[in-house]
Amino acid sequence: MTPAGEQRWEVLERIGSYAAGELEDEEAREVEELLFERPRYRGLAESYARMLVMLATLGNEPVEAPEAVVGYAIRKAYFSAFLRSAEDFAGALGRSYLDAFVYYLGLRRESYGGGT
Amino acid sequence: MNRVSDQAFAIRASKGDVEAFGMLVEEHSGLVYRVALRILGVEDAKDASQEVWIRVWRNIKNFRGDSAFSTWLYRITVNTCLSVRRKQTRRKEREYGGEEMPYLPEPRGGDADPEAAALGAEQREEIQAALGHVRAEHRAALVLRHMEGLSYSEIAQILDVPEGTAKGWVSRGRAAMLVTLSEGKHGRDETGETTR
Repeated sequence: MTPAGEQRWEVLERIGSYAAGELEDEEAREVEELLFERPRYRGLAESYARMLVMLATLGNEPVEAPEAVVGYAIRKAYFSAFLRSAEDFAGALGRSYLDAFVYYLGLRRESYGGGT
Repeated sequence: MNRVSDQAFAIRASKGDVEAFGMLVEEHSGLVYRVALRILGVEDAKDASQEVWIRVWRNIKNFRGDSAFSTWLYRITVNTCLSVRRKQTRRKEREYGGEEMPYLPEPRGGDADPEAAALGAEQREEIQAALGHVRAEHRAALVLRHMEGLSYSEIAQILDVPEGTAKGWVSRGRAAMLVTLSEGKHGRDETGETTR
C-alpha cells in the first residue's frame, strides 16, 4: 500500500473507532475536529454508525440451530459414551481372563493379603 | 441456564454424563450455530456446528472451569470455524487503494426511521456477503465484538491473542467491512478479501 493509502486507511480505522465509541477523550476530540473540518469524514462516520447499527440488529436477531445439529451431537455423545464403557468392560474382562490364565499356569501364587 | 448451572453441567459432562452434555447442547446450540453462520455463511454453518459439538464432547474432560463455559465454547466455535475456513481455497487478498472514502447511503426514511432499523432480506444478504470479504481472523473479531457484544478482554481470551491485537483486528475488520459494503452499493469486484 502506498504511504497515501496507508494514511487513508489509518483515518478510516480511526473514524471507525470513534463511531464505535472506543476512543479516549482526547483522541475523540481530535477526531471530532477532523469531522468538523471535513464533511466527507462526517459522511464516513455516519456510514460507520449505520453499519454498526445493521451489525447489532442482525446480531440481536434470534438464530436457532437446525434440529439435526442438536440431535446429531447428542447421538454422537451417547454412541461415544457407549463405546467408552464397552471398551472399559472388555478391558476389565480381558484382564480378569489373563489373571485367571496366569494363575492357572501357576505363574503366580494366590495371595491372601499380607502374606507372601 | 446461568453461568453456575453451565459450569455444573459441564463438570458433570466432563465425567461422562451424556444427559448433562445434552442439556449444554440444547442450551447453547443457538450460540454455536449463530457464530458459525456469521463467520462461515449458511453453506458451512451446519457442518461446522456439528464439528464444534464433537470437539466439545471430546475435550470437555479438559474443561477446568477457570473461565465461563460460554467463553470456552466460543473459543472452540471460533477455532473450528477458522480451521474450516483455512481448509477452503484461500481467497486472494486485495488491498484497499480507493481514493474516495467509503460511504453508505442513508436508509429510506432516514436514520431516525424506526422501520429502517429492521433489516430486510436483501440487507441481510449484503451484510453476510460483505462479512465474507473480510479476512477470517478480523471477521471473527468483528462478529464477536459487534454482533455478539463481547468485551475486548473476552475476545482476546477467545482468540488467544493480546487485547491490543483483538482491538486491531476488530478495527481492521470494521474498516474492511465498510469498504466492501460501500463498494457493493456501486458494484463489487468479487475477487477476494478486502485488507489493509
